[in-house]
Amino acid sequence: MIVFGFLKVLLGNVAKGPATEPFPLGPATTPARFRGKVHMDPALCVGCAICRHVCVGNAIHISERADGSGYDWVLWHNTCALCGLCQHYCPTGAISMSNDWHNAHLQAEKDEWCESRFVPYLVCERCGAHIRPLPTSVAGRLYADNHVDVARILRLCPQCRQIETALHEGVRHDDQRVA
Amino acid sequence: MNRTTEKTYALPIGPVHVALEEPMYYKIELDGEIVRGVELTAGHVHRGMEALALRRNLFQNIVLTERVCSLCSNSHPYTYCMSVENLADIAVPPRAQCLRVVAEEIKRISSHLFNVGVMAHVIGYNSLFMHMMQQREIMQDVKETLYGNRMNLSANCIGGVTHDLEAEAFAFLLDGLARLEPEVARALDIYRTDRMVVARTRSVGVLSREDALALAVVGPVARGSGLATDIRRDAPYGAYVGLDVDVVVEQGGDVQSRALVRLREIQASIDLLRACVRAMPAGPTLAVLPEIPAGQAIARSEAPRGELIYYLRTDGSQTPNRLKWRVPSYMNWDALGIMLRNAKVSDIPLIVNSIDPCISCTER
Repeated sequence: MIVFGFLKVLLGNVAKGPATEPFPLGPATTPARFRGKVHMDPALCVGCAICRHVCVGNAIHISERADGSGYDWVLWHNTCALCGLCQHYCPTGAISMSNDWHNAHLQAEKDEWCESRFVPYLVCERCGAHIRPLPTSVAGRLYADNHVDVARILRLCPQCRQIETALHEGVRHDDQRVA
Repeated sequence: MNRTTEKTYALPIGPVHVALEEPMYYKIELDGEIVRGVELTAGHVHRGMEALALRRNLFQNIVLTERVCSLCSNSHPYTYCMSVENLADIAVPPRAQCLRVVAEEIKRISSHLFNVGVMAHVIGYNSLFMHMMQQREIMQDVKETLYGNRMNLSANCIGGVTHDLEAEAFAFLLDGLARLEPEVARALDIYRTDRMVVARTRSVGVLSREDALALAVVGPVARGSGLATDIRRDAPYGAYVGLDVDVVVEQGGDVQSRALVRLREIQASIDLLRACVRAMPAGPTLAVLPEIPAGQAIARSEAPRGELIYYLRTDGSQTPNRLKWRVPSYMNWDALGIMLRNAKVSDIPLIVNSIDPCISCTER
């Protein structure tokens, strides 16, 4: 019989009903791993700029503010290829890919359609220099084997941090010698 | 060269909408409605990607090469990463190698389903086309769930993979394969015996074994003409070294044979995927990267359309000095001259589609 084999397939498909999702009348399933618009958590950013280095479209811009108060991290969604390399190479997990695939926007909004974050610098408690913030999770990893006051260390610039750590280590060694 | 004589006349076909919505211009020399000669004009989608690659660093080029072509969008970064790894002697961890094969075979299944589906569309069998595209959705869902995108998986990076799959993801994959397998078996039966498919595709666009050898065609085009060639078996790379790759061969050399090769390769890919999931090694998914030294390297792989070769030359900096790739479609274009000879005008899109040409690959 002509196309009989396929007729059965066709009837089966008719019985199954529509295969498409009823969006926008119903929800569209979005898997958890879906690579949607990029999100950046300024609390975790250390300003290493590896994201900018691996970004193929040059969608990421990092610029220091003139007054030295911090830096702006801006990702222009229209240039982002959603490849996820920035997320993959980000050492602190500051960058994540959201499940947001709603990308329609007005032409007038295209320039402002960014993930724009300001990461403020801290002021060193000892010398007053501007310092890049170090997230607690990273500091915890770095100072895992040192018996230092991590909370205090984080409020110091790298130079003062070295001095603080050296003083602390020195005291500890003296203690051990006495014992 | 214009060879039009009094007996023949020239028919322009293309550059758009010849089977696929990719531009290639064919100047067909016709005698009545029989094709006597064909001249191809390429260059409509040249994007200068080889030059772009020289202005991007080694990391950025992973993503650039993924955009060469959408249907084999995993084979390009995979082979590119292998060329960097060959150059710098990077040992990719076994789990990463296995995960790369999983991504590669998922993409192969989708690519082949797309081509055999479009074949049904070209012969006017649109209900079969819709059905095949619907089955392809199973794999599209797998890609979106496992990797986060329906086409560009972004699975590869230098020294390993960007993702790790957990048991849940493997279960989703196996469930998809279990639903796809009977559908592929049924489709194979339809493509083999359906009267409409047979009437339009058997003995059409024939490429003999000798011609296939002489033109050095690759991939399913070669295997459809009885040439058992497959880089995954002939020069195994990555996790394919430990896998038993079934090289599917059909002897007919016609449009139908090439479609059957693709459908049977889907079955072989399903087996490979199951074998990978069963034997998935534990461990890291990324190698520690050394400095990339100055030097040159090549890498080969079996993309859905055939052998893909990457050549990379570096000068010690992070930007390549030269990046060149030879795509499978490039080798298969010439075969159209033989396949189209004495074909009917109405069969031209069908025969063009049967080599599964990728124009964005060819011209990049």
